[in-house]
Amino acid sequence: MKNYFVFILKSAFFDFSRNKGRTFLTSLGILIGVLSVILLIAFGLGLKKYINDQFESLGSNLLRVLPGQILKNGSFRGGGSNALNNIRFDDKDIVTLQRLKVVELVVPVFTRTVNASVAKQTESGDLYAANEGVFVALNAKAQYGTVFTKSDVEKRSKVVVLGPKIAKKLFGTEDLAIGNNIKVEDQTFKVIGVLESKGGGGFGGPDLDSFIYMPFKTAYVFNTDKKIFAIIVKAKTDILLEDAKTEIKTALLKRYKEEDFSVIDQAELLGAISSIFGIMNAVLVAIAAISLIVGGIGIMNIMFVTVTERIKEIGIRRALGARKKDILYQFLIESVILSLLGGLLGVLLAFIIVTLIQKLFPAYIDVGSVALALGVSSLIGIIFGVFPAKKAADLSPIDAIRYE
Amino acid sequence: MTIRLLPQVLKRETLYMIKLQHIWKEYQLDQELIFTALKDISLTIKNGELCSIIGPSGSGKSTLMHIIGLLDKPSKGTILIDDKDISRLDDDTISTLRSEFVGFVFQQFNLINKLTVLENILLPTIYARKKMNYQPEEYAHYLIDRFGLKGKEKSYPNKISGGQQQRVAITRALMMKPKLILADEPTGNLDTKTGQEILALLLELNKNEKMTVVIVTHDKSVAEKTNRRITIIDGNII
Repeated sequence: MKNYFVFILKSAFFDFSRNKGRTFLTSLGILIGVLSVILLIAFGLGLKKYINDQFESLGSNLLRVLPGQILKNGSFRGGGSNALNNIRFDDKDIVTLQRLKVVELVVPVFTRTVNASVAKQTESGDLYAANEGVFVALNAKAQYGTVFTKSDVEKRSKVVVLGPKIAKKLFGTEDLAIGNNIKVEDQTFKVIGVLESKGGGGFGGPDLDSFIYMPFKTAYVFNTDKKIFAIIVKAKTDILLEDAKTEIKTALLKRYKEEDFSVIDQAELLGAISSIFGIMNAVLVAIAAISLIVGGIGIMNIMFVTVTERIKEIGIRRALGARKKDILYQFLIESVILSLLGGLLGVLLAFIIVTLIQKLFPAYIDVGSVALALGVSSLIGIIFGVFPAKKAADLSPIDAIRYE
Repeated sequence: MTIRLLPQVLKRETLYMIKLQHIWKEYQLDQELIFTALKDISLTIKNGELCSIIGPSGSGKSTLMHIIGLLDKPSKGTILIDDKDISRLDDDTISTLRSEFVGFVFQQFNLINKLTVLENILLPTIYARKKMNYQPEEYAHYLIDRFGLKGKEKSYPNKISGGQQQRVAITRALMMKPKLILADEPTGNLDTKTGQEILALLLELNKNEKMTVVIVTHDKSVAEKTNRRITIIDGNII
């Protein structure tokens, strides 16, 4: 029994080494398929983890009150500040929410894209207008200088606090920004602080490091309608988020209808974003899986060639007592090896690529996806090897041994 | 040379090795044309016999050999081995029987070039179903010594001479200790001298080891060395 497999494997590897180029090209199909599937899964996993980390860094016990129905059944649905029929929050709502016992902080938020310039350097940035509570809510501390205060908000002080990224872009280094003036559109503001980096940005998570933070009322110059795009509510630490949510809803329902606004927590937002990325990722993985099928067809093709080339050998083996199934197994094993070879190389290459790009892009390979890839490539070897192997097994021994 | 290669040869119960009764072999060439390769052949090969099947090409001798060697099935008729009709058995059973019953020696040697001499010799044993009462490797080395192939174990078939290749083929044929050695033009691809050596080897197996040997040939000088000549022309034994 030991010899049985040794001889079959030896026969297979002899063939592979004699046809190195052909073997490699055949495996290449599977290699590319496995590589793309593993990489996409790795990116998907990395992205999910990244989004998770991002939201965790955004502060805890936070609720966001937004106009319109933002989330329904865990997915985004229209809404946002641009939807036509949306209600518009105003100061009255802020006061209503501030009166709630469950609430620690209420932060109205207005954002827009602006051009910020220092001397001749102009950068496009996001204006983030909020009251002084935003720094506590988002757990953001000043790295240099200080953050703005309630009095800055009330007095409409012409000051800004910069995220470290935009500060660096405009001033070269973060510390140089302090005390200097910055032009936002055509208005001049004094930089009083630069925040510590929160990291990240992109991939659905807000890039806190690139924001220009401005006292809410100061920003009325850019927000003449006194619009509030969103309200960040930080619940008191001993309050369950779910309870806070109910209280907020009850309070707002006195003024608005159920469908007019949404109160969402991070878990929900995270779930929604994850599910969107999850679907996208699944679609991409499915597309990549098609290349595995193409690779499988390549294997089938080459196995048919191999069978034809080795008709004589098949005849000899049959004359020596090999049964049909012995021949079938031999060619099946060969096609599985061929496919698995591609699979293993694909996994190896995926590991190398992921290691190389890990610094730039969040990605990691888990054991499950490797096992899946190798399992699938073996399966492809079997599925696409079975027809050529059957052809070999069904050859008549006489015809095979006479074949020249 | 008095070494008994195959002690069980002496213990055979039935008097005959294989008995063919009214064997017909027909090939459907196209819808209307049927080619009859063997016409009502009846033939008994006895234990320990040394015989030749002789005939011109196209006479049906190869077809007859394939049927005796269990590589092909007759269209009609019965084949008896140990009083059992084996002509209607399924492919698996026939394959197993083939591996135990017959050892082939071909004109083209039919060695597998990517396996070493030793591996070629051991090849039949990997397909063996029955439990062998001997160590295949040990027996292989014994035969390799016996047939002057020592030192060639790790060589590949295309790196040794034709005579050596045919000796490897004979060794391989003996590996399963078969009851019958079936040689199809065993000297056809060899020069005269080497051919005679190989023939001598087969004759010696019959004489000293009491092996049943059937040689298929078109060469009268080869046939003359055997004790019994079966001449076949146009599918008939004459």
